[in-house]
Amino acid sequence: MISTSVKRPNFRNFHFVDLIVVGLLTFLIYGSVVTAQRWSGELQPEFTIDLSFSALPLYGIYSLFRASLAYLLSLLFSLVFGYLAARHKRAEQIILPFIDIGQSIPVIGFLPGLVLGLMSLFTEHNLGLELACILMIFTGQVWNLTFSFYSSMKGVPKSFHEMSDNVSLSWWQKFILVELPFSASGLAWNSLMSMAGGWFFLTICEAFTLGGKQYRLPGLGSYMAVAIEQGNIQAMFGGFVAVIVLILGMDFVVWRPIIAWTRRFRLDEAPEDYQEIPFMQLLLQESNIVRWVEQLFRIIWAPTFHGPRKKRKQSLTFRMYQPIREKVQSIEWLDHFQVFGRLFSLTALVLVLWGSSKIFNFLEGISASEAILITKSTLLTLLRVIACLIVSTLWTVPFGLWVGLSPARTRFFQPIIQLGASFPAPMLYPLVLMALHFLGIGLGVGSGVLMLLGVQWYVLFNVLAGATMISRELRETFLLVGLSKTDTWKNLYIPSILPNLVTGLVTAAGGAWNASIVAEYLHYKNEVQSTMGLGALISEATARGNYSLLAGSLLAMVIVVVGVNRLVWHRVYDWVDRRFRFER
Amino acid sequence: MLMSNPLVPMIELRNVYQSFRLESGRNLKVLDNVNLSLFENEVLVLLGPSGSGKSTCLRLMAGLLNPTHGKVYSHNEPIEEVNDDVSLVFQSFALLPWLNVADNVALGLKPLGLAQDEVEQRVKKAIDLVGLEGFEEAYPKELSGGMKQRVGFARALVMERPILCLDEPFSALDVLTAETLRKEILNLWLTRKTAIKSIVLITHNIAEAVSMGSRILVMGSNPGQIRYTIRNELPYPRDEKTASVKSLVEIIRDVLTESIIPDAPEWVPPALQGTGFEAPPNVNMTEVVGFLEVVMEDGGRADAFTLAHKLTKDSLNILLMAKAAELLDFVDTPKNQIVLTDLGRAFVKADVNQRKRMIHEGLMQLKLTQQFYQRLSNSEGGAMGREEAIQTIHEWLPNENPEDVFDTLIQWGRYGELFGYNDDNKEVYIDRGEG
Repeated sequence: MISTSVKRPNFRNFHFVDLIVVGLLTFLIYGSVVTAQRWSGELQPEFTIDLSFSALPLYGIYSLFRASLAYLLSLLFSLVFGYLAARHKRAEQIILPFIDIGQSIPVIGFLPGLVLGLMSLFTEHNLGLELACILMIFTGQVWNLTFSFYSSMKGVPKSFHEMSDNVSLSWWQKFILVELPFSASGLAWNSLMSMAGGWFFLTICEAFTLGGKQYRLPGLGSYMAVAIEQGNIQAMFGGFVAVIVLILGMDFVVWRPIIAWTRRFRLDEAPEDYQEIPFMQLLLQESNIVRWVEQLFRIIWAPTFHGPRKKRKQSLTFRMYQPIREKVQSIEWLDHFQVFGRLFSLTALVLVLWGSSKIFNFLEGISASEAILITKSTLLTLLRVIACLIVSTLWTVPFGLWVGLSPARTRFFQPIIQLGASFPAPMLYPLVLMALHFLGIGLGVGSGVLMLLGVQWYVLFNVLAGATMISRELRETFLLVGLSKTDTWKNLYIPSILPNLVTGLVTAAGGAWNASIVAEYLHYKNEVQSTMGLGALISEATARGNYSLLAGSLLAMVIVVVGVNRLVWHRVYDWVDRRFRFER
Repeated sequence: MLMSNPLVPMIELRNVYQSFRLESGRNLKVLDNVNLSLFENEVLVLLGPSGSGKSTCLRLMAGLLNPTHGKVYSHNEPIEEVNDDVSLVFQSFALLPWLNVADNVALGLKPLGLAQDEVEQRVKKAIDLVGLEGFEEAYPKELSGGMKQRVGFARALVMERPILCLDEPFSALDVLTAETLRKEILNLWLTRKTAIKSIVLITHNIAEAVSMGSRILVMGSNPGQIRYTIRNELPYPRDEKTASVKSLVEIIRDVLTESIIPDAPEWVPPALQGTGFEAPPNVNMTEVVGFLEVVMEDGGRADAFTLAHKLTKDSLNILLMAKAAELLDFVDTPKNQIVLTDLGRAFVKADVNQRKRMIHEGLMQLKLTQQFYQRLSNSEGGAMGREEAIQTIHEWLPNENPEDVFDTLIQWGRYGELFGYNDDNKEVYIDRGEG
């Protein structure tokens, strides 16, 4: 007997929370209308930004819709390609390196192609420019999401596959009933991270210079960019508050409920890493509209899964020959697949060769002095990245352990750290830059500080997670044996968090390389401040339209990031994981 | 250290109360006025069901925990910090995966600042004592559970402390390994080859308690307290099959049974009489049904310990099931026997739907479920939030962990189709049988 506790919608006693739901729905509809208007509007490459506070809500809606659309696109991309990579060996061999490379290309690397291409397609409306912007945000969000989904799919236990085969689920049913729920928790967490990744480069995605021409789309990112450019502190402050409101709002209305909801799909008992807000729970429970939608959804959804499965009628002869037929079919199918697979690989190879030749064409345009410049810049940025990692480690390890070892402190600090991590650091750069100026620190060192500002959170997050997992029994043993604080840190705490620390450092390193394009090259008070480095080189090449230099420096970044990942991090991670991971 | 006086307890808990803060912010009393002493040359066993505060007692003795009220003494001196007379062995081994066996053991010597060769000598001695020679270089993940626990013992022995505290060290091991290790540890203590003067052992295994303990404290739960003290002066080694050991096991069984399913209701002074609510034992209703079927197979009469043996279950668990069945009037428990009532017999013979109905009716006779049902029917829409329900239970049964009681209530209520629970919105609701 199935009894549901979903209360019937009752429109006679409209709950006050329904008002809030209506408000949210109205906001959604209004936002869509405004966005549609903007898209179909006459092309306006350089939108004039109004720096008054009253313009902020509309800009907020524009940015929110761009980021959300980019996110939906990322989700779709992740589901399709993560699925393919996890289910087909050949696809995996192509998609994984593709993610690796994609992840190492900073947002700006996609800019010229997207903007020039899409603007030539849509010459009359803003649509092309908007799409380019959304796709740029997308490139900042998509990679970790795809990778997360891929690894969750890979992690589906064997028994679940066997069960699905046993009850003969179709691939779609299996996907919806087994694979997607299994990945839900990871997807939800990484969606949050992806959104943060999207916000990070908002200033660049909405306001950029390409080949000497200025482009600007209305939004919080360009509001901030213009405020920074003009050195308008008041406007910077306003934009800052608007971004925080937006991030907190999304967190409150979207991410927390989703993450809490997906927790049920976890096989293991996960520590409560994200606290549910009672208010949203109330909203979901008490709102008649939510309940009504829920019921509607049930009605639409139910036949797909809960209805009787259509059984193929099978004649006796069919059943008699079934074993042979299956054999034959499976072989044919395999043949098809092999042909298909070969074709797929061949196409991919051709594409890669064609792409490389294009890049080489570009690279031919690089002069010897430019090549030296690229090398020098790469080394300088590498130094900054390393310094960044060292400093992150130095402060996050003690702090993360101090917080993580006490449940009370963890409860207090976690939300703060989460907010800090999701705030787009580039928006704070001018303020930090002023402080650095005041201290007499130039951008050469200062850009390292700016990079640090954005990426230290990854390390802190991971250290914190590791610290909360340190076993109580071991801590008691150390106490009882009478080991000193130093010994406990050296022999218990630090080794225990090493696997987490390495994970955090890998992410942070990638983030730091990407962040260098904004940290080494900034617009501030109507002038460009830059220092030598690979990030600055990429930004400058884009702004000037020197595409061969851009291709060269992008290639340098991809090679260094992917190379270091493969040659150094993978090995370090394997070693640490083998030696320092506790058995589960 | 002073020459110790054997009449002065090595550790003493005086009027100790302990409470913890639950996640919901309520306080749960886990120890209620506990007094116990550990003397030289004894194996003190704390025996009891889960929730009886055994582990808490051990942590208080080791100085890892400060009591909420009362005091803990070591040789008549109040313990302020960690008790450095104590070494501890855990059920989960608690070994560092990145250190090999020898280094894991040597960890126990680190704070002493000994010379390298003395460290090596003492580590070697400890490793020899537990029979780990040849495994010095191995890492924990290469070892079986039994070998891992030997490393745990070696780490405790190397410290040469007078009190060895054992927190269910054998329960994660298979039966044979556990038996061997128990004997070896007992031998180490009997032969005085080590610094160990006394052992404190926590267990819920009666046979283990009888074979090792020289004094056995039977603990009761909610809140944890010492119910009985049993002195065990049988000579070591104790063979399970001898009559004297068997009869002691019997006695302890009776005591435990009596504390879980008393023959006569406990006399409680009227002033202390609570609300008359009885907490449901934390067992699964499906298991209770299976349990009743087995009793029926045995002719409708069995004793908990034969059953436990037969079902390879923990005997405490069986007793809790008997208690659950007794609450529903399916069994009587005269003199430690479990006897099916007429209702119980009818239940076993009934089909699934009849059974559900009988459990439904049984639950409606219980004051807790009855009142809870009443509350639900009076609330709007016949439903109530989890938090509110837990608060209600807390008021009715202040000494129980209300979250546990809530879970049991839901589980039973679902089985009897009395109420249901929706985890999506955390609501209990009356099951009206619509489907």
